[in-house]
Amino acid sequence: MIRLAVETTPRTGARASCAAGPGRRNRPGLADRLRRDNPAAALAALLWLAIVIVPIYVMINASFQSQSSALGGDLLVPTTHPTLQNYKLAFQNGFMHLLFNTVVVTVATIVLVLGLSVPLAFAIVRARGRHSSLLVFRIFLLGLAIPAPVILVPLYVMVSKMGLYDTLWAIILPTVAFAMPVTLLVLVGTMRDISEELYEAMALEGATPARMLFKLVIPLSRGGISTVAVFSGLSAWNGLLFPLILTQSPQNEVLTTGLWSLSSEYGVDIPAMLAALTLAGIPMLVLYLAARRALISSVVGFGGR
Amino acid sequence: MTTKSKRNPILRKRGLRAALALGLGAALSLGASGCSSSSTGAGGGQIVVYTYGDNSTNIQQAAVDAFNKTSTVKVKLVQVPGNDYSPKLRTVMTSSSAPDVFFNWGGGSIAPYVKANELVDLTPYFNQAPLKGAFLPSVVAAGAVDGKDYGVPMRGMQPVILFYNKTLFAQYNLQPPNTWAAMQAAITTFKAHGVIPFALGGADNWPDLMWLEYMLDRVGGSGEFTKIQNGDSSGWTDQAMTTSLTDIQQLIQEGAFGTKFTSTSYTNNAAPALLGSGKAAMQLMGSWDYANQLSNYPNFAKSEEGFTTFPDVAGGTGNPADVVGNPTNFWSINAKTKYLSTAVAFVQYMASDTYTKALLAGGWIPTATTTSSLLSSYPNPAFGQFQYQMVQQAPSFQLSWDQALPTAVGTPLDTEVGKFFAGQVSVSQFESDMQTTQKNAGS
Amino acid sequence: MTLAATSGKPRPQRHGAGAPARVGRPRLAWALPGFLFFALFAVVPMLYAVYLSFCGNWSGIGSPQLSGAGNWTRLFQDSSIRQATRLTVELTVLSWVFQTPVAMLIGVWAAGKQRNRAVLAALFFIPLVLSSTAISLLFKALLDPNFGLAPSIGPWIGFPDGNILGSTNGALIALVFVGGWQFMPFHTLIYQGGARAIPKSFYDAAAIDGAGRVAQFVHITLPQLRNTITTSSVLIVVGSLTSFETVFLLTQGGPGAATSTLSWVMYQNAFDDFNFGYACALGAGLVVVSTVLSLLMVRLSGFGSMRSTREGA
Repeated sequence: MIRLAVETTPRTGARASCAAGPGRRNRPGLADRLRRDNPAAALAALLWLAIVIVPIYVMINASFQSQSSALGGDLLVPTTHPTLQNYKLAFQNGFMHLLFNTVVVTVATIVLVLGLSVPLAFAIVRARGRHSSLLVFRIFLLGLAIPAPVILVPLYVMVSKMGLYDTLWAIILPTVAFAMPVTLLVLVGTMRDISEELYEAMALEGATPARMLFKLVIPLSRGGISTVAVFSGLSAWNGLLFPLILTQSPQNEVLTTGLWSLSSEYGVDIPAMLAALTLAGIPMLVLYLAARRALISSVVGFGGR
Repeated sequence: MTTKSKRNPILRKRGLRAALALGLGAALSLGASGCSSSSTGAGGGQIVVYTYGDNSTNIQQAAVDAFNKTSTVKVKLVQVPGNDYSPKLRTVMTSSSAPDVFFNWGGGSIAPYVKANELVDLTPYFNQAPLKGAFLPSVVAAGAVDGKDYGVPMRGMQPVILFYNKTLFAQYNLQPPNTWAAMQAAITTFKAHGVIPFALGGADNWPDLMWLEYMLDRVGGSGEFTKIQNGDSSGWTDQAMTTSLTDIQQLIQEGAFGTKFTSTSYTNNAAPALLGSGKAAMQLMGSWDYANQLSNYPNFAKSEEGFTTFPDVAGGTGNPADVVGNPTNFWSINAKTKYLSTAVAFVQYMASDTYTKALLAGGWIPTATTTSSLLSSYPNPAFGQFQYQMVQQAPSFQLSWDQALPTAVGTPLDTEVGKFFAGQVSVSQFESDMQTTQKNAGS
Repeated sequence: MTLAATSGKPRPQRHGAGAPARVGRPRLAWALPGFLFFALFAVVPMLYAVYLSFCGNWSGIGSPQLSGAGNWTRLFQDSSIRQATRLTVELTVLSWVFQTPVAMLIGVWAAGKQRNRAVLAALFFIPLVLSSTAISLLFKALLDPNFGLAPSIGPWIGFPDGNILGSTNGALIALVFVGGWQFMPFHTLIYQGGARAIPKSFYDAAAIDGAGRVAQFVHITLPQLRNTITTSSVLIVVGSLTSFETVFLLTQGGPGAATSTLSWVMYQNAFDDFNFGYACALGAGLVVVSTVLSLLMVRLSGFGSMRSTREGA
């Protein structure tokens, strides 16, 4: 192991110097090497990678098979006569419509979450009444523990009374409310880290709270805000329960409920189901590949809290 | 044919998705859910009829159109998407926009409304023409609550039938499985040859229940369940129940259902595919499965599929002609309707030959007594004849237990039967669990 | 996007020791819109659920009538609830035991940057962006005992006929595995973030003292990751306690009641049986349990006392 570590040193060093990475990379210390070269962890990572890849491979591979060949053959075997039939079927079943609704729900959720949570977090961190703002924060923390299934019954009553049943709003509003506790946790943490001197400097200039929010807090919380946007976007995109219960008609179906309906319609036509799943995953995969770094660092940022 | 129905609408009473949209009727007096069924426009003269929206509502729509030609008060048919039917109905029944006539499953599905005095007692109408003698008595009985009739049959019958693969039976020199001995012989032989004797979609639980329904009937007669249905929870611990459960346990243990039935589902077509593809030799299932095979395994359905009744059980006191399943769907009339005579006239129309023929052409076996003379127009006369006679000769046509019982008992029953088939509860545990459940629900 | 700032572990302690600035502080009213919104769509329904739990077996027909604590006493006598509770605890513990060590191991490892790891990571994190619905349906297809992969995979993992979802243990393992498949990348990232924030000097010092890798892990990495472990554990525990979608889509609580977790039992009571009162009692009970648990864990991590670090007491 020591030998291994010694061998890697020059390479790492060389690469780091030409990549001109962030400071600490230029000086790969002994400790870094020790942390890196952990064969057990590497093995675990590789193994897990395989566990992740195999189902995805099968999903994509078998989605190009016809049902009959899938029934006879093995989903693992590379498809010899690929067909687009399953994809055609998914589009015929209104896939684009599902996608459109989902995008609407997701965008609206992100906008609302940010619009409500940023001022809220700002107030919790900076407001004058410390005890009451702490209380507000605690109430939201309690919200973390409310499982969505618990409040479905009352939520249905309310949504119906508001005349929102079976509209996309019926999905958006509760989704926003349920994203808020985690959102606040992240935003409060981020804003808390802005140094007191900066606030004081602006206060000396006589800045209003609004000016502080826009000139100081928001720019310095960009990281937290993007984390929150990603998080709430994902929960809107992936939510099943609210659309399942608070909408009913096909024109208000989103991807999750749509996939669920398709799964009972397709039955054992596994390739058709896999094609629909692949299609549903593509937008997110594209987004993920395009903005992987942002996405991952969002989660890392979340974890750092 | 109702081609795609994995599980026919008659059974899909509790579509999950929907299930949800629960009715909180009075709690919210909502006019929200967008059903613009502002029913009775004062002088406009219209009654609103709710039906279960699926691909055979065109039959009902045609009936409405024909009816409207002669009626001054018009009928408006509202199709509620199938999955959402039950909860939607719950919501709307207590609101001001309640339908005048609505589709239902009889028995337990309307009992709460009967209790709340929301339905018209149709018994007097069944004692006079045109409803008198118009429908098979065992079917009409399934639409009754506490001995009074509340439902007029409006779709076809769906008895549970023992389907089998004639080719496989011939190949191994076996008799059709319509006696217990023949069935046992078949099980032994098929197991020896690596064929699953019975396809069973145990993952859905309710297909398991069909076995218990028939076993209890054959062992102890149709009165056994009637006792339970009438609220006597001691029925769950009767000797007949114990015997039936023990027999089923034996079937499970000897591998009559293969080893994978607990993860095989009917609703995703896996169990029917086992039968259709020859991997399994028999299946106990509702008559709708024939249409299912016809669309997925047409060759099998046309030339290889046989059908018979559930066998008699040695030592049992039940009548082997008894049938379980889903007698049919019904129209019931809201007691608050402003146009009772129109509503009655509309439900009476269901007894007409025109409507019966329309059902036949749509692939249903109607429950009207005139059906036998019209059967030749059915797409598959042999299957139609078998089905109709089976029901016609049945002294009792028991509605599926999970629907005959109040939902607070019916759903736990499904789960409990699933547990029993998966070997998670013993015979005595099953009995005491169900007894407790029914007691709790009754409180 | 630069997020390094947000993950800075050592918090800046209060700098201005003088009188805190009064100018430019927002009024608490700034919190109002967000707070009211949250109250309306989360707190009020929660309270209404508690109310309904005292309304007997109200089924949606007629209006709910207060009728005492019958649902609550039944809750404590119901054997199916006891079984569901046991199952839910099992599922939660198994999920934690399955996800935590692996995520920590890989996360800490991945904290050191290397290009090949980046390539690996691109594929590694795909489950992050797939929905529970898609993932559950994918595994449902793969684990189909007759037409999926289960017959080929089953024999390797102790299910010779591929009856994974149909056996009591198999279905539970499947739920734990699918949950892990979905969330492992997320927790790995959390640990990666946590590990990155550990000052390198700690390791340098330890290395000079001659501490080996294991010693470093035990004496530096683990204690420094304390907050991260709490965060990740709270998420796993609360997530598993209330997980619904995977059960709903993958097993429907079956076979029998082998995977009937508390939230599934609640859903069934509400939307299959229309027994809203009882379902609400069960739900409210679940909230109490998960609140107590997460409060306990949040306390450990110091989230609740957040103001004190900045403002001083």
